[in-house]
Amino acid sequence: MRVSYNWLKKYIDISVSATELAESLTMAGLEVENIDNLGDKYKQFVVGEVIRISKHPNADKLSVCNVNVGSETIQIICGASNIEQKHKVPVALPGASIPHNQHDPEGKPFVLSNVKVRGVDSFGMICSPYELDFGDDKNGIMILDDQAKVGTPLAEYFRLDDVVFDVSITPNRPDAMSHFGIAREIKAILGGKLKIPSIKLIESKSKTRDFITIKILDRINCPRYTSRVILGVTIKPSPQWIQDALQHIGIRPINNIVDITNYVLMEIGHPLHAFDYDIIKGKTIIVKCANEGERFVTLDEKERVLNKAMLMICDGERSIAIAGVMGGRNSEISNSTKNIVIESAYFRPQSVRRTSKTLGITTEASQRFERGADPNITEWAVNRAATLVQAYAGGEILRGVADIYPKKLKPLILNFNTNRTNEILGTNLKSKNIIQALSKLEIKMINSNRRKRSKDVIKFRVPTFRTDLTREIDLIEEVGRIYGYDRIEAKERVSISLSNIPPYQDPTDLMGDWLIGRGYNEIICNSLQEKKTAKLMSQHIVEISNPVSQEMSALRTSLIPGVLEVIRKNIFFGSKNLRLFEFGKVYFQQSNSRKTQIIEGYTEEDRLLLALTGALDPQSYDQKLRFLDIFDIKGEIQDLFKKIFLDKFKFIHYSTTNSLTQHHLLVHINGEEAGYLGNVRKDILKSYEIEQEVYISELFLDVLVRHVPKEKKYLTPPKYPSVTRDIAIVVNDSTRVEDIENVIRSTGAPLLTKLELFDVYRGNQIAPNEKSCAFTLEFSSPEQTLTQEMVDRIMDNIIEYVSRKLHASIRR
Amino acid sequence: MVVQSHTEDVVMLNAIETIKTSALTEISRVHDLSSLDEYRIKFLARNGLIAKLFDDLRNIPSDQRPIIGKHLNDLRSQVQTLFDECKAKLDSVLKSKEDVIDLTLPGRSHWVGSKHPLTQTLSEIKRIFFGMGFDVATGPEIEDNYHNFDALNFPPDHPARDMQDTFFITEDVLLRTHTSPVQIRVMEQQRPPVRVIVPGRVYRNEAISARSYCLFHQVEGLYVDTGVTFSELKGTLVAFAKQFYGRQIKYRFRPSYFPFTEPSAEMDITCILCSGSGCRVCKFTGWLEILGCGMVDPNVFEFVGYDPQKYTGYAFGMGIERITMLRYGIDDIRILFVNDVRFLKQF
Repeated sequence: MRVSYNWLKKYIDISVSATELAESLTMAGLEVENIDNLGDKYKQFVVGEVIRISKHPNADKLSVCNVNVGSETIQIICGASNIEQKHKVPVALPGASIPHNQHDPEGKPFVLSNVKVRGVDSFGMICSPYELDFGDDKNGIMILDDQAKVGTPLAEYFRLDDVVFDVSITPNRPDAMSHFGIAREIKAILGGKLKIPSIKLIESKSKTRDFITIKILDRINCPRYTSRVILGVTIKPSPQWIQDALQHIGIRPINNIVDITNYVLMEIGHPLHAFDYDIIKGKTIIVKCANEGERFVTLDEKERVLNKAMLMICDGERSIAIAGVMGGRNSEISNSTKNIVIESAYFRPQSVRRTSKTLGITTEASQRFERGADPNITEWAVNRAATLVQAYAGGEILRGVADIYPKKLKPLILNFNTNRTNEILGTNLKSKNIIQALSKLEIKMINSNRRKRSKDVIKFRVPTFRTDLTREIDLIEEVGRIYGYDRIEAKERVSISLSNIPPYQDPTDLMGDWLIGRGYNEIICNSLQEKKTAKLMSQHIVEISNPVSQEMSALRTSLIPGVLEVIRKNIFFGSKNLRLFEFGKVYFQQSNSRKTQIIEGYTEEDRLLLALTGALDPQSYDQKLRFLDIFDIKGEIQDLFKKIFLDKFKFIHYSTTNSLTQHHLLVHINGEEAGYLGNVRKDILKSYEIEQEVYISELFLDVLVRHVPKEKKYLTPPKYPSVTRDIAIVVNDSTRVEDIENVIRSTGAPLLTKLELFDVYRGNQIAPNEKSCAFTLEFSSPEQTLTQEMVDRIMDNIIEYVSRKLHASIRR
Repeated sequence: MVVQSHTEDVVMLNAIETIKTSALTEISRVHDLSSLDEYRIKFLARNGLIAKLFDDLRNIPSDQRPIIGKHLNDLRSQVQTLFDECKAKLDSVLKSKEDVIDLTLPGRSHWVGSKHPLTQTLSEIKRIFFGMGFDVATGPEIEDNYHNFDALNFPPDHPARDMQDTFFITEDVLLRTHTSPVQIRVMEQQRPPVRVIVPGRVYRNEAISARSYCLFHQVEGLYVDTGVTFSELKGTLVAFAKQFYGRQIKYRFRPSYFPFTEPSAEMDITCILCSGSGCRVCKFTGWLEILGCGMVDPNVFEFVGYDPQKYTGYAFGMGIERITMLRYGIDDIRILFVNDVRFLKQF
């Protein structure tokens, strides 16, 4: 909310500067987000008088003006056709920030300096209303009042000697959504005496109730309806001081009646609405719910479709306003309005909020009603408005108010335990301090009779404007706030009791660190994406019912599309060699899933994604650049598993058309599916405009974590040296390496401790349909040094089995 | 006897001459360090030819010994000189050869990885709170209204719900707008004492701009026990801020409002960019808001079945993106999710 410093001073004497006041408000919980010195906008702008106009020697449409700016007369080149001698005009001097550049398509601001215009010096600028940020008028310069004094700073001419604060008011404080409300808060924190806005009414003999009848059909949603009728008002612009006050806080003046209702709203915080009395059919106001599907045109000339839960203000025949939200086009104040009804009602917050939400209309009024207005000030508010109407629009105020308030809201009485305050705040406050702090907020102690009062429990009466204070804890917060949070000690020694959660185990940290050491960049992607993208991997997608855009209307079902987008962008920027990983969640909507679901019907899974593209290593002067292939990503996964001590894993070739990869390998750990790897399908790459191979692996983190050994036991490394042997096995080309390895392993067990493939050869030296696979075998025993003979025996066995089972021969 | 002795020294002198000749010829055949070493072993080593002659010296009659000894010494110093000269020559050749290798060639390099700045910030926050005895708890991002709002004391149909624009999946299921629902989930499953931090991803239905994104990450903290006070909350958070931002920072706690804490506060520290003198980032106030906090509202305890008369607690929450952006001077939140490696490699 925008709050004017000058306006505040009407209700309380403020002895501190605007900056200091802002600081105090902030520290009391009314955060001042910005301080706007209104005059700053027109620094280096003055009132000037045009003394002489002559033609520009080099341009037909320009004139050379001599302008008296008070201290001197300066030469200014001007292009406006409406310039005349003796005119008082707004002049910007060098250094001034012009709010809008008329020649810029976006009207960006600029700083004025001395320039030559077609060869003639110009030492200032005469401004148009648009250039000064007064509307859109660009046709010619702004002409000021004849009486304006030459040399007067423009800020002063426009009466901008004010400071406006942007105060962020939390939703629990509707009482502070007005100047008077903030003044009340200033009184509590800085002291001083509150000046209550005056009410001076001259009422006529005619009774209001003879002119208007109020009927409330929904008393739950409208507990009070107060109104006054004023006859014979003159619609005209409101006085300058009201216009200025409204303009300073960003409200556009309209006419005296509308301005006055707005002024009172911003003054004391209670929303008012003025109707044209003569259009009210049957001279009756009925508060009731709308008809389902009813159409209604609001003040902003938009047609709204209503439902039967929406509370409406109606006359004898039709709806004339949406209660607490916005008035109707049909009953608004016009220039021909003579007689008015001013409404000052109290509507139930939930009702106003639902209507405002459903219709998508938020107004100053709806904001205050939905946070909670004070039903006990409706009469005061309407009387204050009537006072101003009589003063600035004339008219006859009818006697009394038409007021329906069957169930008066009484102030809450709260029991309050002073010990509890200290227990919560960690302070040592005495009852006296607490009573004092609360009384500053008009929260008064009752039963001050000492004998009746128990030692620590005090009763307090909470004023009805503080709708947020309903419990003891709420008062404790007020005590802390007024006492000052900064005066509460920051305890340096704290005692903590030990909790019973098992130690935090997270192998993701280890994996992340390892991948980073291995040259991967960690990425973090948006988990919202297009439905189409989410459906690439699963039909069970989670859709957002109110997305910001279609591009972000579903939750991801795989980390792959995200990384492909990242790769696309990076390649575009010139980074073609990428090693990326992401830890992230994927989401599914599945009613019959075996996975644990915290929210029924939805599963979330943690994944780890690796993506590789481009060259294996950075380009080097003496090594050939090698591009990655599928075995690089496979190797990365093998090594990663070694790092986290997973050993019972398997890669299973699996052809599927559903996956985003070709050469699709499933990763199994202990027989459980734990992810997959492969190279991304060409058509998918194409849709991301990626022209190089991308290798990815997406791993299911929960499965990995489950299989990571929780406890580690130390194994003595063998004390005896190992023996290595090489062997080249020639097999049919179709024989899989995995099968050869399996035979070697099972035959070599248990002394075979390592098996590494170091060469695969096809060529002249063997038959065309054969390949030779060369392995290094390492043998060791925990019990003895292996002799050559022992190893020979094992090797013979291996050769025999390999030859028999795989029809292999040994290449010597 | 005389003849015999005469023969002994003649043999010796001949031997000296022979060795001298072969030492002179062989040195010319030495072209590298290894053949030089062979040369040294042959002539000069402890078991070399010259040493052997010195051994034989004891067979020479004592009157002849000084003369023969002198010859032998001369031989040894002569061969030693040959060796030294040759070695010096070889060394200098070798050195000039070494100079041919351009050592300014770059070393062979591999890719260098990086941890995302958000992860770095989170790790550091976790480290500090682990040190204070906090555990980690997590919860789902797809939440229900009850945990995200109701049980956190957001009244139904209350504007407080507007503080967090929500993405809905169904009327009752939504993407959590904060990590606070995990407070409820933890307390539902555990009796006090509870002391956890909750890192996680949260969503807000806001237009994407330099200052807001549709999702961000938070770290939530919760401590519930008997006798927990606001004073202790301040102490804990001040200790955190000093560890994270440095001992020199000043701080302040301002009253604020969150439905699930009462009293509620926001914590500011002196602006880390201008040290409090005022800049664009701190909007010329000299202060930066770093977190929201407060004492757990008794209504929240009622929802999870804790006795509010017996237990008190505090909670706090901070945004990882905001902290990261302040720390590195990042002025557009979106760059954190673009994952341009030219950006990532700076961390």
